[in-house]
Amino acid sequence: MRRWLVSGLAGALLLAGPAWSADVPPGGPPGASSCTGCHSGAKIADVVIPRIAGRKAEDIVTFMREYRSGAWPSSVMGRIAKGFDDQQTQAIAAWFAAQPE
Amino acid sequence: MTSRRTFLKGGVAAAVFAPAIASAQAAAGKVVVVGGGYAGATAARTLKTLRPATDVTLVEPNPVYTSCPFSNSVLANLREIGQQQFRYDGIKRTGVKVAETSVTAVDADAKSVTLADGSKLPYDRLVMNPGIDFIWNAIQGYDEAASQKMPHAWKAGAQTVLLRQQLQAMEDGGLVVMSVPANPYRCPPGPYERASLIAYWLKVWKPKSKLLLLDAKDAFSKQRLFQNGWAELYPGMIEWVSLSKGGKVTAVDPATLTFTTEFGSHKAAVANVIPPQRAGAIAAQAGVADRTGWCPVEPVSFESTLRPNIHVLGDAAIMGGMPKSAFAANAQAKVCAAALVELLAGRKAADPILINTCYSLLAADYGISVAGVYRPDKGQLTDVPGAGGNSPLEVVGGFRGQEALYASSWFRTITSEVFG
Ligand SMILES: Cc1cc2nc3c(=O)[nH]c(=O)nc-3n(C[C@H](O)[C@H](O)[C@H](O)COP(=O)(O)OP(=O)(O)OC[C@H]3O[C@@H](n4cnc5c(N)ncnc54)[C@H](O)[C@@H]3O)c2cc1C
Repeated sequence: MRRWLVSGLAGALLLAGPAWSADVPPGGPPGASSCTGCHSGAKIADVVIPRIAGRKAEDIVTFMREYRSGAWPSSVMGRIAKGFDDQQTQAIAAWFAAQPE
Repeated sequence: MTSRRTFLKGGVAAAVFAPAIASAQAAAGKVVVVGGGYAGATAARTLKTLRPATDVTLVEPNPVYTSCPFSNSVLANLREIGQQQFRYDGIKRTGVKVAETSVTAVDADAKSVTLADGSKLPYDRLVMNPGIDFIWNAIQGYDEAASQKMPHAWKAGAQTVLLRQQLQAMEDGGLVVMSVPANPYRCPPGPYERASLIAYWLKVWKPKSKLLLLDAKDAFSKQRLFQNGWAELYPGMIEWVSLSKGGKVTAVDPATLTFTTEFGSHKAAVANVIPPQRAGAIAAQAGVADRTGWCPVEPVSFESTLRPNIHVLGDAAIMGGMPKSAFAANAQAKVCAAALVELLAGRKAADPILINTCYSLLAADYGISVAGVYRPDKGQLTDVPGAGGNSPLEVVGGFRGQEALYASSWFRTITSEVFG
């Protein structure tokens, strides 16, 4: 119960805050925390790499699939997307979709 | 006299308040973080953000951190050293206590660290991120005093500025000599990025000059991309001497700027020695470094396999397939902080996945990258098969320029996440 409450609050209010629930570890599903090295959590100036926080989960999943297959050309994302299966990608996408835009 | 009735009441009260007591205990927890580089600063800040009740102290002697990533651009006059420097105010604002001093000893049995003034700081979990130290005299004649004549510039700051001054003072036509160590060392592609950017600058300002890379290896990170780029951008300017061609430097003479290799000797106008390295000295003192000089860790929370309750991150640690990079240090620290939330609450941390991406510049507008995805496998962080790899060798116009833009975008983002 308490965990559920905290998780609801965190999802609503905090940027990179805790989202404790039975299946999502603190800090996000496996792989998610690495993404913010390039895809900034905060809004900062002078960056050409897009933010993914608050984007629609299905859009993130589609991009990752197309990067993985090479249908959408990329520099580094194709090489990274190949390290994640559909289920892992979906979990990461849902996590970022729940962050404030 | 305690009647059976009041006893029972007490029992009920205890049962009712049990969850509160349990969460108060879970809220407690002292974590000391040693070293405020990419690994330590990220770990301290992320843990405090994920679990605000934790008492987090970051111990770092320098009030200002000077970033190695992009310091090669300072050598090429593309950046100033001030643009490499970051303070800890942003981290303090998250509620992390910053102790501006060093850890001089770790007592793993007593779970406490000793600070430079002799005071002690107890911990439940210790996170060690001391980066690297140099093995002085591994190359005969190369000690700390010699680094004033032949800078390493492998810890950014005064050494970076010194090497840049020497390059600027050099006469056109001078020979720049760099010595590169065997693996493992901080930033595998870093020496080759440095050679590229020095050549970039020489080509404009000292076009008759040349650069000689003496290497203790026969192969290096992103090798074909670098060598193709050198042929395209700096034809005839950079000569790479591999281990088997006599590249390994065994001795130097700082008075004459001479390098001695297994096959002969080379006299430099400007000399850059990147010496062999090991984990920062405090790691060995704490008993978390093994005979290699680096720190073995398990691949989920990066706890030392040699001492319990001590986690080691970043360059100091042996991270399986992951290279010693700032990107990797930051990714490991975020995973470790999330794992600590679980461990401090008495739960188990789930298996992580980590990404690394390292950009190198061959010119201001020419970037290349190497990426990898890693997960625990057989006790080690291991490359996820089929993922990762280098930028393509053949590209359409604009690709290298785009990767150079991504490189500076990465630097802006990561430094803002860590120090902003
Ligand atoms: C020229 C160059 C270019 C690079 N370019 C890139 C790049 O483009 N991309 C990339 O990802 N990586 C790059 N790197 C690698 C990157 O710099 C390192 O991987 C990164 O700094 C590792 O972070 P760290 O926190 O482990 O160590 P560090 O950043 O070295 O931090 C260690 C900190 O610990 C402190 N410390 C040490 N001992 C103690 C003690 N006893 N008590 C308290 N504090 C202590 C030190 O003062 C220091 O602040 C480059 C490196 C070099 C040299």
